[in-house]
Amino acid sequence: MDSSNDEALDIIVTNVVATFRTRCHLNLRTIALEGTNVIYKPEVGKVLMKLRKPMITASIWSSGKIICTGATSEDEAKLGARRLARCLQKLGFKVRFSAFKVVNVLAVCSMPFAVHLIDFTKNNRPIASYEPELHPAATYRIKNLKATIQVFSTGSLTVTGPNVQNVATAVEQVYPLLFECQKPLHK
Amino acid sequence: MSSRVCQTCGGTDIDVDQARGSAVCTGCGSVLEDNIIVSEVQFVEGSGGVSSAVGQFVSADGPVKAPLLGSGFHTSVGKESRAQTLQNGKRQIQQLGSQLQLNQHCLDTAFNFFKMVVNKHLTRGRKTEHVIAACLYLVCRTEGTPHMLLDLSDLLQVNVYILGKTFLLLARELCINAPAIDPCLYIPRFAHMLEFGVKTHEVSMTALRLVQRMKRDWMHTGRRPSGLCGAALLVAARMHKFRRTVKDVISVVKVCQNTLRKRLTEFEDTPTSQLTIDEFMRVDLEQECDPPSFIAAQHKAKMQQLEQELAKKLDEVEGEISCYKDEIENELEKSRPKLRGIYAAYAKQIDPDDVEVLSTATEPEELVVEDAELQAATQHLTQDFLCQVIQEEEGQDKKTDDNEHELVPEKEDTGPQRQVPPLAIILGKLPRSASLDLQQTFQAFNKSGTEWSAILELDLDGIDDQEIDKYILNEKEVQVKTELWMKENAEYLKEQRGQDCYHPHYHTRQHKKREQIEASTASEAIEKMLEKKRISNKINYDVLRDLNRGGVGSGGGGSPSRASSDPPHPNTSTRKRLSRSRRKDPQRKAHEVNQDLVENSVTMTTQTTQAAADPPTVPEPETSPAPTRPPPNVEEDEEEDEEMEEECVSALQLVGDYGCEMEEEDIF
Repeated sequence: MDSSNDEALDIIVTNVVATFRTRCHLNLRTIALEGTNVIYKPEVGKVLMKLRKPMITASIWSSGKIICTGATSEDEAKLGARRLARCLQKLGFKVRFSAFKVVNVLAVCSMPFAVHLIDFTKNNRPIASYEPELHPAATYRIKNLKATIQVFSTGSLTVTGPNVQNVATAVEQVYPLLFECQKPLHK
Repeated sequence: MSSRVCQTCGGTDIDVDQARGSAVCTGCGSVLEDNIIVSEVQFVEGSGGVSSAVGQFVSADGPVKAPLLGSGFHTSVGKESRAQTLQNGKRQIQQLGSQLQLNQHCLDTAFNFFKMVVNKHLTRGRKTEHVIAACLYLVCRTEGTPHMLLDLSDLLQVNVYILGKTFLLLARELCINAPAIDPCLYIPRFAHMLEFGVKTHEVSMTALRLVQRMKRDWMHTGRRPSGLCGAALLVAARMHKFRRTVKDVISVVKVCQNTLRKRLTEFEDTPTSQLTIDEFMRVDLEQECDPPSFIAAQHKAKMQQLEQELAKKLDEVEGEISCYKDEIENELEKSRPKLRGIYAAYAKQIDPDDVEVLSTATEPEELVVEDAELQAATQHLTQDFLCQVIQEEEGQDKKTDDNEHELVPEKEDTGPQRQVPPLAIILGKLPRSASLDLQQTFQAFNKSGTEWSAILELDLDGIDDQEIDKYILNEKEVQVKTELWMKENAEYLKEQRGQDCYHPHYHTRQHKKREQIEASTASEAIEKMLEKKRISNKINYDVLRDLNRGGVGSGGGGSPSRASSDPPHPNTSTRKRLSRSRRKDPQRKAHEVNQDLVENSVTMTTQTTQAAADPPTVPEPETSPAPTRPPPNVEEDEEEDEEMEEECVSALQLVGDYGCEMEEEDIF
């Protein structure tokens, strides 16, 4: 059953976080001194390197583990990671691209209606939680998908999950529940 | 006082005397009970003639406490850790609860929650303070008391969000559904704190109505209830002619000034705000509003749309204006005097820029791009070409036109066109060098590409190496950067070096320890180790060396041979035994090892008592074991050992075999 309306819901992926390993030790000082767009944080022990295209920020540790954030799609994340590895290779390290994994995907979606959060929380008691003192959104956690959806009273959602497919499934799952507690708009 | 039947006479009349504590049958006089235990309160006279009751209070619930007997502390050691935790928790709950003015029922419920939490092992890794605060807050929520999480965090001086996290987790684990916060709950409390005197109740009622109205107007979802209460109370106070300023209210309600103002403006936007006070109290408007954030988002969308439309219109208008301008300028130029002679030369020099400006002015849309560098470079390459073409086409007359064209675009008010001329003029000087660099990088990559591909395991599809080269600085830049970085981080580097100073000691010590002893057999290894490690003069090193021989022999003959060879060689038996034990032979059994270790320890301790050594006895036992050893390898080892031993024995005369010989008898 197609749970979405006549107008399809736009799920916009805003952030993809991925990790990979270079299988070799990296000298952070060399990277910091010879690269452009780098921020060296010796207290923490990492280097932040930013690429322009695709727009990603990578945290590089001396053990060779790298976390890439800021990509807008899984493919882009992979491309960015490979570029980064290429850049490190050119700096002189024997880099090998291994264990690439997308760890987290963040997407936003907007419902065409507003949601009554208190009713929504009441209906989905243990899975949904709403604490207005702490956060303005109601949090809905789907265990089997490992996805978390934050529902705001205006009807916009932010979804986080391990990959894009899960995120889409999560939105589809939660849509009918939100539809029940919707608040019709007057203006 | 139970009336029983006398055993002897069968009589039922039994006299129980409390004072003596005895039960006697009145019929036959036989004593049925003696020293009856009485459950009455006894009094004891204390110092100063004060009489006090004997006994202690024991709580109905709570931990099972071992009764403190005369020896107090000894019995309490046996308390369970669980009991202690619960007791501690109870105490803290009482403490916090009393500060919050919670009644005993709430505190008991909180303690029950705490017990559940401890049973589920949720206290592990969390501060007890946080857990207790969360339990108390759970109770507050389920009972509906007007306590905020903020109050608890104020008392404990802990971040609200940390407490909130713990609270959410406990609520989830204990499956307790805390009902949602209703801002109406807080109104009486805040009203009381704002000191309205007699009229407190009326003001509260008004404020309640306001909050309910706000709820219907969708102002309360996603907002802190305290903020709403604050706004409602402020308005209610003003309505009843109390002068409460924003500052007063925020000090009570604990929100920020901005928040309060925002709520007030949002309320202002609702149609209810237009009613008079009387009307408001009487009438309730049917219409409901959309949430304010939703309205704000819509507003933004509208603004964006408007801006787009305006931009379009502006473009159209620009087009018209430029047409008019062209016409005007044509007219003007016709009427102007033309530059000849010297001035013509000047006019020529300005040409390329002018022509660029001209070409760019006619195409404003294409130039509004973000990827400035590359695209600007390509543009200029094309523009140069265009300039040349246009120059050829145009005649001399047009040069004066260009002068004016240059002036005109700068005067225009529209955004994109204004940006264009300065950009073109600025970048006009650059393009040649940029194109050269690109070519260089191309060449460099081509050369290095073949080398890298060999090492690569990286798939290069879609990777633009030129771009990547831009990310790497060249040598000069590296030097500059290194200097800068060193200056900036001088302190940090000093710290690092300071730490390193402490390390070398450890390293040298470790290095000393870790010097590898290269030896072909274990026996050699032991010898070399013994050479180096002269730790104590209480150890009979000769015997240690002997272990090698014993160890090798046992490999072939097994344990029985050892056992059998023990008695015939009393002089050297201990040495052999010790040598066998030192020989870490896998065939050795555990108990034998233990025995030998015992021997070792015994020999070591008793050797000090021995005064004289017996050097002549040494060569005899050394030669005697040699023929008894079947395997030839052992003999060789033994010979080596003997040589070594002789040297050592001579050095260690005082700590000689005497000790070993004497101990045999002592050991067994």
